[in-house]
Amino acid sequence: MMKRILLVEDEEVLRMLVVDTLEDEDYVVDEAADGIEAVKLLKNRTYDLIILDYMMPGYTGLEIIEKIQSSEIKNQGKILMLSAKSQQFEQERILEAGADYFMAKPFSPLKLIEQIEVILHEAESLQN
Amino acid sequence: MKLNLYRTNSLSRQVVSLMSGCIIIFIAGTGILFYQLQSLHAEYLQKRQSIVEKQLLVEEILDQYHTVFLTMPASDVFDKDGLKDEAIQEEASLRKKIEEFRAIASSKEDRIISDKLETFSDDYFGGIQISAQISDFRGLIKSYLNNLADKRDENVKNLTKEQSILQGVFVGFVLFFLFICLFIVRSIIRNIGKPLADFSVAANEIAAGREAVISVNENRMDELGVLSVAFKKMLASVQDKEQELMAHNEELLAQQDELQAQQNELQVTLGIIRDNEQKLTRRNELINGISSTLDKNEVLNSIVVNMSNIISADRGMIALVHEDSSSSFGISENGVKQFRNNIDSGLNYRLLKEKKPFTIKREQLDAEKGYHENTNYSYDLYLPVLSTFQEVDAIMVFSRYGTPFTDQEVEECETLAKQISTSLDKIKLYEQTEGNRRLNQDILNTIKEGIQLIDQDGKVVQVNQPFCDIFKTGSTPEQIIDLPWEKWSAEMTGQMEGDGFSRSLDEAFQHLEATNHEQRSFTFKKKETNQVIKVYFEALRYREEGFGTILVYRDITKEYEVDQMKSEFVSTVSHELRTPLASVLGFAELMLNKPLKPERQIKYLQTIYNEAKRLTALINDFLDVQKMESGKQMYEKKYVDILPILQKVIEHLEINTEHHDIQLQVETTDLIILGDRIKIEQAFTNLLSNSIKYSPDGGKIVVRVCSRNDKLSVDIEDEGLGIPKESLPHLFQKFYRVDNSDRRRIGGTGLGLAIVDEIIKSHGGEVTVVSHYGHGSTFTISLPRVAQKEMGPNHDRQSMKLSYEIMVIEDDINLAELLKYELMDSGFHVNYFNSGRKAFQELKNSPPDAIVLDILLEEGEMDGWGILRELKISADLKEIPVFISTALDEREKGLSLGANDYLVKPYKPRQLSKVIMHTLLSTRKKGQILIPHSCNEGDQV
Repeated sequence: MMKRILLVEDEEVLRMLVVDTLEDEDYVVDEAADGIEAVKLLKNRTYDLIILDYMMPGYTGLEIIEKIQSSEIKNQGKILMLSAKSQQFEQERILEAGADYFMAKPFSPLKLIEQIEVILHEAESLQN
Repeated sequence: MKLNLYRTNSLSRQVVSLMSGCIIIFIAGTGILFYQLQSLHAEYLQKRQSIVEKQLLVEEILDQYHTVFLTMPASDVFDKDGLKDEAIQEEASLRKKIEEFRAIASSKEDRIISDKLETFSDDYFGGIQISAQISDFRGLIKSYLNNLADKRDENVKNLTKEQSILQGVFVGFVLFFLFICLFIVRSIIRNIGKPLADFSVAANEIAAGREAVISVNENRMDELGVLSVAFKKMLASVQDKEQELMAHNEELLAQQDELQAQQNELQVTLGIIRDNEQKLTRRNELINGISSTLDKNEVLNSIVVNMSNIISADRGMIALVHEDSSSSFGISENGVKQFRNNIDSGLNYRLLKEKKPFTIKREQLDAEKGYHENTNYSYDLYLPVLSTFQEVDAIMVFSRYGTPFTDQEVEECETLAKQISTSLDKIKLYEQTEGNRRLNQDILNTIKEGIQLIDQDGKVVQVNQPFCDIFKTGSTPEQIIDLPWEKWSAEMTGQMEGDGFSRSLDEAFQHLEATNHEQRSFTFKKKETNQVIKVYFEALRYREEGFGTILVYRDITKEYEVDQMKSEFVSTVSHELRTPLASVLGFAELMLNKPLKPERQIKYLQTIYNEAKRLTALINDFLDVQKMESGKQMYEKKYVDILPILQKVIEHLEINTEHHDIQLQVETTDLIILGDRIKIEQAFTNLLSNSIKYSPDGGKIVVRVCSRNDKLSVDIEDEGLGIPKESLPHLFQKFYRVDNSDRRRIGGTGLGLAIVDEIIKSHGGEVTVVSHYGHGSTFTISLPRVAQKEMGPNHDRQSMKLSYEIMVIEDDINLAELLKYELMDSGFHVNYFNSGRKAFQELKNSPPDAIVLDILLEEGEMDGWGILRELKISADLKEIPVFISTALDEREKGLSLGANDYLVKPYKPRQLSKVIMHTLLSTRKKGQILIPHSCNEGDQV
């Protein structure tokens, strides 16, 4: 079964980069340009992975994580946070807030694919 | 005898015996009378009884006779035995009764009657017919009976008579008794009352102090006798005592005289003491007066007044020799002045030389004499006040009318002068210290940092004004000095954010001994003003002994904010750069590592190109913002026409858009501004490209140039997305991006408007925005307008950039040349004169925009001050700014005369042109070349 991924990113260009990369690897990708749109989508269905930008209009990445953790949008998959905030303490804060993985901007699309595969594989083996 | 003694011993006993005697006599008399009455009554009753008995008996006898009389004849007649017996019986009883009667017969008559009765009965029964006698008998008896009745009545009468006699006797007795009583009372009164009255009279006499004779018999044995004896004794003793007292009194009088004499002596001594005391009081007053204040004039006043009092001078004065200070008493202002002027000549000279007091006798002046006509003398005392170095510090002169100064007084005055000298020294010292203190405080206050000196206990010893401003708005050093540690540190803590101040203070004090400098400071933030203040500590020592701590409060708000801003800026920049970098790197990586279709390759390359361009723009914007914020942005301001700039910007942007219709509407002819062409162009570019960007569906964009509120306004009006109301206030903030989904595809750095705002503000203008969300926005740039007063025909727009006319007045030709080149180099036109007069002539003909003036001009010329004064009083020329360039360092005079600036030679190159430019730009509205078309009321000064 094809994995479904939600990409939340306000920069159109970056979205194109990630979507192109993921679709080449046969993932189904839903896009959201801001937090509000993302929450709307998350209410409708479950995703195997959510890729979140940190700084966004609407809700910030952290706020979306909070919503996912609260009862509002349940049973979601792993969360991968993309952020330009690359300093150590910021990473720690993001992971503490509930993101499962972190990747700093600028990022390598190939590395992103690798990382996503690892994440999804882990999740699968955990389920089994 | 004994009884008599007993009786006479006591008055009461006398009275009691008299009273009891009376009562006994009274009872006895009454008893006798009563007995007489009783016996009288008994006698009467007895008499009455006997009479009644006789009466009854006689009547019975008579009755029996009557019966006998009736029966006797019958017996005779009838001779019946029975009757005869009966008569015999009757005769017996009669006889018996007559016997009875005889027994009770008391009087002669009774005995006659009884005899008759006997005879009659003898006769009758003897048978002798005595019928005639019978009737006689009857008559006799009857008269006897009547007699008896009479006797009874008489008896009653007698009784009554005797009773009344007895009553009379009783009344007489009572009266007699009362008389006796009266007599007794009288004698008692005579015996007791009179001596008592005598006593009272005598006592009164004694009380009144007269001789008293007591007439009471001393031999009396009763109380009065005793009293009389006692009284006499008392009298004697009183008289003795009186005599004694008299003697005593005389003694006392003698003593009193003695005392009076002593008192008089004391009075004299007291007078002397009082005089001394007064003297001392006045001296005290003098000393108090001169030591109670540190104000020089007050002290001098009090010296003169008190000294005059002490030596009873009529006028006097004191004058300091080395200072222009004096005080006088009874001397006119002119007199004081005259004295001061001759302080080191005449008699004063003598005093200064001799340094010893002396007196002078002189004839009184007319003014001093008043209404006295004859010659009077006045005495002057000259007194020096010597300093510790035996220098004459002050001169005192006192005048007295009529009475010369004694040696003793002069000596006393000398002693007092020493006191005065000490106090003058003290004042000098105080003035010095006070001056030093003020100087120190002034120095402290000039320092920008707050300075606080506390002692070992933490009490505030000294602070400066900047500290007060930090401590509490509006407080003064006086209010803070002497506050204990607890108070000021609590107050400070209250003013600061959080409660860290006290703790930091305590901690810092623990590290006071530390050598590490960092530990002796801490930083805190003030609540109200958001000031960030750094406190440094330094322990103060005096001879190895710590005596306090000095705290320096430095306001590092600016540094702190700059720091904050820098780190914020860096963080934002790195974030903003990472996004386009991510795209560039990401797509490049994909292209390098993946086989891609050509379309995608082109798409990626295009993206990489765009993002790289965006990066460049970002970096440029960042640099701009950084420059502006750090204040390093230099604007090369010149007079420029705004129209070509706008045209260029529109032209440039039109190429990149097809569906926007950009229209330029020019509604004014005053298009000149003073500005930096490139920056102004950048501002318009930013605004216009925003308009294009945020009207993605195309439409009309109007650029309108007009004159509004005395400003040159440029509106840029689009029909695009518009801006939500809540975003308007943040629009010009750095990195602010309007947050809505419509705009998400529109890229930007969030710096454009911030840059525009900065540029326009630097040009003295402002950017405003009006927007209807969904209908488009209008941004307006307003800039201050400038125009030329005389726009001659040959003044085209290009030569508008022309410069100010500067007149240089300087007599040194070399220097003038130097100045001229410098000014011309800065774009000024220079007119130079070496003579003030010539220059002034020219000034009137064609006034320049500014004048550079030297003060020292050639001899015989009007000097710089003169020219400056002339300029400032002329109505036409007083507005022209004047800059003084001279070697003479009299800046304050220059500025007070109205110079705009005062430069002392030598000064830095270009300083003059800078100053002139600055002044002309800031006062351009008043300048000659640049005047506003129409001034606002408020601007017209």
